[in-house]
Amino acid sequence: MYQLLLTKRYLTSKIMPLLAALAVALCTAMVIVVWSVMGGFLVMLINSGRTLSGDVSISWPITGFAHYEELIKRLEANPEIAAAAPVIETYGLIGLPDGRTETVSIKGIDGPSFSRVTGFEDTLYWRPINTPTEKDTTRADLRLGKHDLWKQLFEGGKRLVRTEVSKSDRKPIDRPAVVPGISVSGFNFREPWGFYPGLPFIRTTEGAKKPVDMFMLPVDGTVTLNVLPMDSKGRAIEMVARTFPVANEFHSGLYEIDHKTVFVQLGALQDMLKMNRAETIDRSGPTVVISDDPSKEEFVTPVVVSEAPARVTNVLVRSKRESYDTADADRLAVVVADIYREFAEAHAGKVPEPSSIRILTWVDQNRTMITAVKKETALVLFIFCFVSLTAVFLVLAIFWAMVSEKTRDIGVLRAVGASRSGVAGLWLLYGLAIGLVGSGIGFTLAYLVVTNINGIHEWLGQKLNLYIWDPRVYYFTRIPSQLDPTHVVIVLCGGLLASCLGALWPAARAARMNPVQALRFE
Amino acid sequence: MTAVASSKSSIRTGARSTEAILHATNLRKTYQLGRTKVPVLRGVELSICGGESVAILGASGSGKSTLLHLLGGLDTVDRASGSEPASSIMFRGQDLTRVSVRKLDDYRRRRVGFVFQFYHLLPELTVLQNVTIAAMTAMGTFEYWRKRGQIRSDARELLDRIGLSHRIAHRPAELSGGERQRVAIARALINKPDLLLADEPTGNLDRVTGGSILDLFTRLHKEGQSMVIVTHDETTAARSDRVVRLVDGRVQGG
Repeated sequence: MYQLLLTKRYLTSKIMPLLAALAVALCTAMVIVVWSVMGGFLVMLINSGRTLSGDVSISWPITGFAHYEELIKRLEANPEIAAAAPVIETYGLIGLPDGRTETVSIKGIDGPSFSRVTGFEDTLYWRPINTPTEKDTTRADLRLGKHDLWKQLFEGGKRLVRTEVSKSDRKPIDRPAVVPGISVSGFNFREPWGFYPGLPFIRTTEGAKKPVDMFMLPVDGTVTLNVLPMDSKGRAIEMVARTFPVANEFHSGLYEIDHKTVFVQLGALQDMLKMNRAETIDRSGPTVVISDDPSKEEFVTPVVVSEAPARVTNVLVRSKRESYDTADADRLAVVVADIYREFAEAHAGKVPEPSSIRILTWVDQNRTMITAVKKETALVLFIFCFVSLTAVFLVLAIFWAMVSEKTRDIGVLRAVGASRSGVAGLWLLYGLAIGLVGSGIGFTLAYLVVTNINGIHEWLGQKLNLYIWDPRVYYFTRIPSQLDPTHVVIVLCGGLLASCLGALWPAARAARMNPVQALRFE
Repeated sequence: MTAVASSKSSIRTGARSTEAILHATNLRKTYQLGRTKVPVLRGVELSICGGESVAILGASGSGKSTLLHLLGGLDTVDRASGSEPASSIMFRGQDLTRVSVRKLDDYRRRRVGFVFQFYHLLPELTVLQNVTIAAMTAMGTFEYWRKRGQIRSDARELLDRIGLSHRIAHRPAELSGGERQRVAIARALINKPDLLLADEPTGNLDRVTGGSILDLFTRLHKEGQSMVIVTHDETTAARSDRVVRLVDGRVQGG
């Protein structure tokens, strides 16, 4: 009981323990803030990556697999699956209006079905918006307000078409179009206030901005996609190039995707890659009947002897659960694998074997990125925790000094019957109290920082022109942060442990003191 | 040659018994100062009867405080070596030189109460808390919590008896020397000890204040409190039932 009383008194009557508590608070707050920001960064990266990948992917790269429509029907009949969509993934070159050619990942999609499986529709950047982004205080964003162009671009982007007026009959016709990532063209530079200005510019070699007389890409401009089709045995046939108008641009928030991905209409890419439906005809007979009588000459209709169905390289699947749990994704992958097995049995020899097909969850697909960020988080945390060890030594130094200062009190306590363990307990309890106070203050501080991190950042920017988190670099408008209760508990326990560790040695010293010498201490 | 002080003790008040509550035999204590061994007590024998007031009188460095610390279980005697008989401090049939550390702690908590020359109050605590802290060490948290009302009441009563009821909420820094020593006495008495051990209790006070403290000791003694008072002052010692003179670590007479 005397430990509690003295701890309370020492805590409120001395400045030194409060300094120790402050050190613990700062270290605790620092680690919580770092963990929250890095954790939030990871979650945002995963979500951004997952936005365009679905929950599970059935994949047979390059040559693709047939009868995917039937597989999709089978998948969508399962109560755990919300939707499935066909995709062709390939690599190619994109020729841009300024003459540059870049290597890109080209994805052939059917807009509406792809949107049911992924967040594609939400990523379309050029669309009408009603409320400006948080940092757009002057409402400079061109997308604000009712503008038919935005609506037209948005609708076109959803279906990957560009509506044009026919030159012959003046009727509107939809031309297959592409939706490149917002950073593919190289004309869009994100401003610090978090949106693309809409009036693109080129950065000159001197670093200045040179305006470009175009919007997005040239309004009526085009890009050229170059792809290399393969036959069913994976042999290259001949490079195919086709020019497409631009329907819209997408913004997933992840630079690696926004910089290197182009979506194109599925049918168009199937055509280019020779993955569309094809017929094999009997060429053994004549194609034209020649007769002396011109009226009896005729073309012979070729006999179709076989039909090669259209193919895709991937079928993306979306779970009905709105869960980000890795285990849920793994369970869904098992369900998908079972459905594919039945599908493969029904098309034995015509589709890849169940043992060969690749069925990957969104975690598997983003493993490299997730692992990299996780390792980076762990490294940063390790460094900060190491730095936080100073709190242990600070508590130790302060407690050592306090034990020296309180030597005579320790002698008095021993004289009135306090045991060695009781005296040690007093200092350990005192350390624990410092840890509790420090961790409590640290948590409060961290909570305030994490929940107002964007406001603080904004204030630093306005007052000191200090933008630590520049959206032009990180491609996130807001600094991500997520206060994970488990992480908070771990850090707070760490703070308590650090304080107790710091108090351990001084406590042992206090316990070992000879009471007579302690009473004579001056 | 070792004198046996208890054999010459005379009984002057009716509040005590002739039975010794504490009997120390052949107490030896040596301190190590660097490479030099300095013998402080060279075989002291002493008995304290119930209700008796004993003054240990000696010059500075004679070993009187060391003797008090040994009697109070704060310090330990030398280990027996060679043919010398072992030291022992018998308290109610139990040899304090052979009991466990835990029992010795318990002895200090319940059986003895210390009063020091420099009061040794805890500066962060109030007068009341300085008194009750001794009770706190004698019981666990829950036991104290259960009995806290009674303990505080006892402490208030004690402080009232020694004239400090108006100073209960004050800190030691706000008290005079005499008042501090009275608080120290109350702290020593809160656990109702069998033996009060006072080390130069007036050594840091002026004559008038010291006199009032000695009056308090006399009053406590008359109420039956056994006590040992260490002093170098003949006048102070003269107030006790018996005086034990310590010279060069040995008892000379009483």
